[in-house]
Amino acid sequence: MSSQYQAVQWNRQKRIYDLLLISGVALYLVVFAVVTEHYFPYVTEEILIMRAFGTLAFLLLHLILCIGPLCRLNPKFLCLLYNRRHMGVTCFFLGLIHAVMVVATYHAGGDINPIASIFVTSRLTGSLAGVPFQPFGFFALCILFLMAATSHDFWLSNLTPPIWKTLHMLVYAAYFLLVLHVTFGVLQGEAGLLYSVTMAAGLLTVIALHKAAAWRERRNDRELEGLRGDGFCDACSVDDIPENRARVVCLSGERVAIFKYDGKISAVSNVCQHQNGPLGEGKIVFGCITCPWHGYQYRPETGESPPPFKERVATYDVRVQNGRVFVFPKPKMDGMSAPAILTRQ
Amino acid sequence: MNGPFYIGWQDRADPEIKRFIIRCVLLLFSIGLGFAILLARMQRTIGVSVFEWGTEKKFSGIMKAMPYPHLIVPRPGASGATIGFSTYYLVAPFKHGLDPGSMASLDGRTVDLRGTLIYRGNETMIEAIPDSIKASLRQMEPPAGLENVSLGRQTFDGEILDSKCFFGVMNPGQSVPHRDCAILCISGGIPPVLLVRQKHGRPLYLLLASADNKPVNQQVLDMVAEPVEIRGEVERQGELLILRADPSTYRRLNSRSP
Repeated sequence: MSSQYQAVQWNRQKRIYDLLLISGVALYLVVFAVVTEHYFPYVTEEILIMRAFGTLAFLLLHLILCIGPLCRLNPKFLCLLYNRRHMGVTCFFLGLIHAVMVVATYHAGGDINPIASIFVTSRLTGSLAGVPFQPFGFFALCILFLMAATSHDFWLSNLTPPIWKTLHMLVYAAYFLLVLHVTFGVLQGEAGLLYSVTMAAGLLTVIALHKAAAWRERRNDRELEGLRGDGFCDACSVDDIPENRARVVCLSGERVAIFKYDGKISAVSNVCQHQNGPLGEGKIVFGCITCPWHGYQYRPETGESPPPFKERVATYDVRVQNGRVFVFPKPKMDGMSAPAILTRQ
Repeated sequence: MNGPFYIGWQDRADPEIKRFIIRCVLLLFSIGLGFAILLARMQRTIGVSVFEWGTEKKFSGIMKAMPYPHLIVPRPGASGATIGFSTYYLVAPFKHGLDPGSMASLDGRTVDLRGTLIYRGNETMIEAIPDSIKASLRQMEPPAGLENVSLGRQTFDGEILDSKCFFGVMNPGQSVPHRDCAILCISGGIPPVLLVRQKHGRPLYLLLASADNKPVNQQVLDMVAEPVEIRGEVERQGELLILRADPSTYRRLNSRSP
């Protein structure tokens, strides 16, 4: 969390995260190279590099895609999410090295511009093996580049979180393109069962985790009923909310996080202004709602970040009667105080 | 829900989360290591081939221009049943072949050249420096057995590939991942070869030519790296097998080649 832009807001845990990430990348590349050279000493270096970096980029993309749903299923995985953007940028650079080797090896040195060659050399022949697969990889890399280039909070702030989030959801399009790239490419050449099984297992894992997380989320999206005459909705029992934590409910199509802390109840929008993280899965720390994704903080009474930060989330009016929490379904203007209600009356 | 809470900007994580992170990292490293070993070990298309990149040698032999330029080099001391010469395909640097038309004036003559050796099994090729190819001052006697021997009309299933990459410049240099490169190489004049994998014995490499012994580079491009069936006249020139057929009669197969 920072009130001004820096290339990287380093802290101890980010350093540890990146150190482990780089170590993992180096370990994979070295082991892949050593095993390949041992069993296939006549492999040419450019293809060895191409394969090592390509397989690692694809594996890393699987991990990146799995972190989100894993965090929804078990908050302990949030430690993997905290610096996920560095993992994404790493994934892009691994893919870029793979692509540079492909263009330099397979497309340069002929009579056609090497980049144009990606699109015009292979033609559809009507057979599975004849599907040009390299354009899929090219477009996937373009998406990964866009995401890596706009990964900094500068772009998040200037593009606005909804646009930034939409742009970064294109990672699923990139993944789909890469599945096609691999299916019509290396799986047609390396016809070994393991390659196909690995690919299918990866795809199924990504889909299954997203389905499981979505199923779990669906519970939060059940629209509340029981609108009273004063316009407030019966949201939950006070006892349903753990101390310093929240219960998430759906009101007028929006998720609302109802926090209990210091004998008070406050309700705020569930959407963090940083990366739209789920505030309702956060915790009150130092008197502030703390987003589980990157630790952005908001005062529960006002929805405002403590100075010098300027982020704000919408607040909701709350009442407590007979041990039940009632929330007015229309948000107040950003930053305006919503009264915190004492739970003991 | 009320368990430890991770905040990345805090100096230290909760001990319970720290233990979880250590387990996570160990698991991820193990998975990554496992994939690195398995994916590397299970590669299937890397053969034994060599490109002596950076090592330039001098060669002398008899130039044969058609269907693709190749060099006949007599073997010293060869006699009896052994073939008395070696055949080297000739190609230019990068994704270019030597033009049979421009080599026609040297056809049948002894030439000297410099180039880099490429080989896979008994198949040999020279990436020649085009400017170094000169008619030699000394003339070699054509070795015995240089004339083509007909092996009759035969049918083969296999994969069309560019001989330069497959014989050693790239390894692996075949199949779908390599297709674009193979198309560029073949369209640039590299001799197309049909790779026929036999259930028993070594694979066969058949140089593809038209029925009238002309290059077929431009006609085969849409069939490169796919399983095809070709029926044509087979000729042997020393160790070189030439498959002559009209490319319009090549048949794309639905299944993958064995």
